[in-house]
Amino acid sequence: MVAEGIPELVYYLGFVLVNTLALVLILILLVSPRDRKPTPEKRAPFESGQIAVGRGRTRFIIQYYPYLLMFVVYDVVAMFLFAWALNLRALGAAGTVPVFIFVTVLLVPLGYALHLANRPENW
Amino acid sequence: MVDLPPDPISMTIAIMTSPLFLKIAIFPGLTSIGIIAAVLTWLDRKITARVQLRIGPQYVSPLGGILQSFADLIKLAFKELIIPEKADRFFFVLAPVFGLVLGAGLIGLIPFSPESLISNVEVGLPVFLAFVTLSPTLVLLAGWSANSKYPFIGGLRSLFQQTGYEIPLWLSSLGVVMMAGTFNLTKIIQAQSTGWFIIPQLLGAIIFLVTSVAEQERIPFDLPEAEPEIIMGWQAEYPGFLFLAAQGAGFVKLYAFSALFTTIYLGGYLGPGPLPPLFWSLFKTTIMVVLVILLRGAFGRVRLDQLLRYGWTLLLGLAIVNIGITYFLIVGFPTI
Repeated sequence: MVAEGIPELVYYLGFVLVNTLALVLILILLVSPRDRKPTPEKRAPFESGQIAVGRGRTRFIIQYYPYLLMFVVYDVVAMFLFAWALNLRALGAAGTVPVFIFVTVLLVPLGYALHLANRPENW
Repeated sequence: MVDLPPDPISMTIAIMTSPLFLKIAIFPGLTSIGIIAAVLTWLDRKITARVQLRIGPQYVSPLGGILQSFADLIKLAFKELIIPEKADRFFFVLAPVFGLVLGAGLIGLIPFSPESLISNVEVGLPVFLAFVTLSPTLVLLAGWSANSKYPFIGGLRSLFQQTGYEIPLWLSSLGVVMMAGTFNLTKIIQAQSTGWFIIPQLLGAIIFLVTSVAEQERIPFDLPEAEPEIIMGWQAEYPGFLFLAAQGAGFVKLYAFSALFTTIYLGGYLGPGPLPPLFWSLFKTTIMVVLVILLRGAFGRVRLDQLLRYGWTLLLGLAIVNIGITYFLIVGFPTI
C-alpha cells in the first residue's frame, strides 16, 4: 500500500502534462505556416492532377435508391424488436407471437422489394 | 455530491483529483484514447506489413518504430491547412473533428473494469449503436462540404453502405439483449459470469464482427475511402491536422468496437486467475483489434452492390435466424 495521496498526485501530474501538450499543440496550430495569398491552383479541388471540370457535387448512380427506401422502413422495425427483446421473459408467449407475426408480415414485402431492387429495368 | 472546499485553488485541485475527472482525463478517457489511437496506427501498419512480407515502420525509436505515429502527428500538425476554394469551410472543418469527438464518446460507455467506467448508462448498448449511426452522416457531410468529386463520391458511398450493414448490426446485438435482458453494458458483463455469450451467440457474434468492420470502413468494406479507386474518398481534400482527425477517428472506432465486442460477447473484464479485471478487458480487446487488422491483410475490397445485396439478404436473414434461435434457447424448444 502506497502512502495516501500519492496515486492522486501521479494522476494529477499526468493531467498537467496532458494539458501542457494540448497547449503546445494549439500553439503549433497557431504558428503553423499560413499562406496569406494562396494561388488559385493551390486552392483548386483535387482531381488527380487534372484541372477540375464541372460541378463538385456530381450525380451518383440511382440504382441503389430502393435500398435507401427500404432502410427507412426496416430500421424502425429493428427498434421495435429492441423494445420486445428487453422484456422478453416478462411478456411470455402472448407478447412474442404477435412480434413473430409482425416480423413475418414485414419480411414478405422485403423479399419482393429486394426482387424489384435487383432488376435493371427498375433503375 | 462531495463537499468542495471554499477557496478557488483547493477547489480546483479537489475537482481535478476527483475520480471521475481523472477517469475522463487519463483512463479510459482522453489521454489513453489519444495514445491508443496512435499505437493502433502503428500496429495496423506493422501487422499489415508483416502479412505482406514487408517490415513496416522501423526507424523512429528502437522498439520497431513504435513512435512513428507520434512523429507523423508532429509532422501533420506543422502542415499548412489548405481549404479548397469552393468548400463549405464550417462543415469541412467540423465533420472530422466531430467524428473524433463521437469516437471518444463511445469509449466513455465501455466498462473496462468495475472501477474504470466513465458513465454507467442504463441504455448503454443502444446509445453506443446510435452514436455509431451518426458517423456515416458525418462522412457524407465531409464529402459534400469539400465540393470536390472524389470526396462526394466517397460520402455517398458511405450513405449507401450504411443501409447495407446497419440493420444486421442492430439485429445481431439484439441476441445479446435477449440473453441478458438488459441494455446496461455492466449488467451484460455480469450476466456472462456463467458463460460467455459468444458460445450461444456464435452466429450473432460473426454477423456483429462483419457488420462492425463495415461500420468502421476498414478493408474489406472501405468503400468510402477506397484508396486505389477514389483516392481516399471523403478524406481526399483534407490537409494536415484535419486529415489526422479523420484518420484518428477511424482508429478510435476500431478500439471502441473491439472493446464493445469484448464486452458483449467475450465476457468483458471477467477472467480466470489472480490477474486484475483491467488486464482481461484490455487483453481481449487487443486480440479483437489484431483480428480486425488481419482481415485487412487477408481480403480484397467488396463492391458496393455486393455489400448491399449480401447485407440485405444473407446478413439480415442470418440475423433474423439468430434471433429465432436465441428465443428458443431462452424459452426452450416447444414440445409437440
